[in-house]
Amino acid sequence: MVLFSVLAIALKDLLQSAVALAVSSLLLGIIFFRMDAPYAGAFEISVVAGLITVLFILTIALVHKGDEVRESRLANWVFPLVFVAFIVIDALVMKGLLGKVPALASGAETGTFGEVLWKGRTLDLVGQIAVILAGVFSVLALFRKGDKHE
Amino acid sequence: MIILFVVLPLIVAGVLPLIGKISRRVLPDLLANATLLFLLVYAAVAGRALIAGGAVLQDLPWLGEDVNISLALDGFSLFMLVAISLVGLAASLFSIDYMEHYGAKANFYALYLVMIAGMNGLVLASDLFGVYIFLEVAAVASYALVAFGLGHDELEAAFKYLMLSVAASAFIVAAIAVIFGMTGRLDFAGVAAALKELNAGPVLGVASAFFLLGFGLKAALVPFHAWLPDAHPSAPAPISAVLSGLLIKVSGVYALTRIFLNVFGLTPALSAVLMWLGVISMVVAAFLALGQKDMKRMLAYSSISQVGYIVLGIGIGTPLGIAGGLFHLFNHALAKGLLFLTSGSVQQATGTRDLDEMGGLAKRMPVTAATNLIGALSIAGVPPLNGFWSKLIIIVALVQAGHPVFAVIAVLASVLTLWYYLLMQRKAFFGQLNEKWAAVKEAPFWMTAATVLLALLCVGIGILFASTVSTWIQPAADVLADGVHAVTGSWGF
Repeated sequence: MVLFSVLAIALKDLLQSAVALAVSSLLLGIIFFRMDAPYAGAFEISVVAGLITVLFILTIALVHKGDEVRESRLANWVFPLVFVAFIVIDALVMKGLLGKVPALASGAETGTFGEVLWKGRTLDLVGQIAVILAGVFSVLALFRKGDKHE
Repeated sequence: MIILFVVLPLIVAGVLPLIGKISRRVLPDLLANATLLFLLVYAAVAGRALIAGGAVLQDLPWLGEDVNISLALDGFSLFMLVAISLVGLAASLFSIDYMEHYGAKANFYALYLVMIAGMNGLVLASDLFGVYIFLEVAAVASYALVAFGLGHDELEAAFKYLMLSVAASAFIVAAIAVIFGMTGRLDFAGVAAALKELNAGPVLGVASAFFLLGFGLKAALVPFHAWLPDAHPSAPAPISAVLSGLLIKVSGVYALTRIFLNVFGLTPALSAVLMWLGVISMVVAAFLALGQKDMKRMLAYSSISQVGYIVLGIGIGTPLGIAGGLFHLFNHALAKGLLFLTSGSVQQATGTRDLDEMGGLAKRMPVTAATNLIGALSIAGVPPLNGFWSKLIIIVALVQAGHPVFAVIAVLASVLTLWYYLLMQRKAFFGQLNEKWAAVKEAPFWMTAATVLLALLCVGIGILFASTVSTWIQPAADVLADGVHAVTGSWGF
């Protein structure tokens, strides 16, 4: 999963990058299944690996060729350095730390998926509707035509 | 019906693009401003009665079913709601004339109201994940609003803002995950009670560091400030006013303060970190503002510096320090909103933001010049304006708490603030009238009305500061000074 995530950032070809991201989230979905979170796994695979990848590929197909932007060389150096530093810190610190994390005993899982989504976290749904509205209005505003600022 | 603060702007935002098809200007103007006026009146008039008996924790049923829409209103959230509605209304009135030449006005108001709903939701959320979701609502709307002009600079600034904001969100989610992993709870009261039971020192330190990075980026504290001087000047003026006046405070300072003071509890180490971050922001950004030639960029750096004062005041942790920090938050929201709006009037009249090109504009735009002067003097802390009292309270609190060195630095940073604002006044409004601006006229009615409203508030609150503090600031400061007990005691446990 980590490897494919890195590929998704490092690959220059947008299509390959989108596919690498899809594989990465597919593997994340499998990890969710393995960790007894089937709903999260199903959503990850169907929405992130499936739907969003389709949207990416459609968009890439619609973009004209020749619009490539030259990237700064700095990015080629900075990302691998930050990534390696992160892995080193992760290996040194997190393993020791994770064993020491105190946690309260988690309660028994209550209710089905539907109950948790519709009854347990209803306010989140209001928030998500607002995020979707913001996204739709953003697209309408940023791709508007016929105005002076076109 | 506390939920009106979130749902009403969302519903109006939902219908605005449709109404925009029928009426391109009048109806969207009317509807958006009426919504914000209603929210302001509701918060200011009904709000205090609602929380008279202590914090209100509202659980709403939906179609007879008991669903978990849990919102909490206490002195601190009510204070923020009033600030959001007030500055939101002023910026929206200003937009009536200002946004005319951008086009797509209905769409603009729709995004604007979604951003307001996001901020209101964040302030009313009673759990950590709710804070995150509404933070994103406000942020997503604000990216598009920064880029609304569609010019090269606007798009570049919006992209930079988006990238740093995403990094901030990642830190915030990581911190929430750590807390949820330990406690199995997300609601403030539950997390606060569980953390008391657990002895989770080092891990809590990691979560605090993540929150500090995330909310520090949102609040644009030095050294996390790189995005703000690009994003705020590039946005249309009313959006700059709301971003600098409200958004960095709601999604940065409010969230940080609520979580650190009411959920984690302010430890001496955390207090020291907040105070140092505040002092560094205050001084570094003031020096950076001095060197600016772009009017709005100078204001943006000034915002970073003033957020430093707010965080310094709250970081002291004493009741007086917290009250001073919150009062300065309110005053800065009004005055910086005012300054960004007047800079918009100047930009629209002259077509430039470069201070060196301006000069003598007070002769052509007397109301704009006068209101700008009031805003500048208020932020610089000149008596009897509102900014003077809040800075005075912070400085007195610093001395009382045994931090005389920080108090001296705060006074010196205030002198720096006065210096760069006088530079702005001299270059833009006073001196010889640049011949290029001989034909410049005063800003249109609604733009002037919005700035006059905010200027009157700056003067009025300065004169009536004692009653403002006792009515609005003190109840908010009491909640924060009450620490973890505020949520565990009155919100549930």
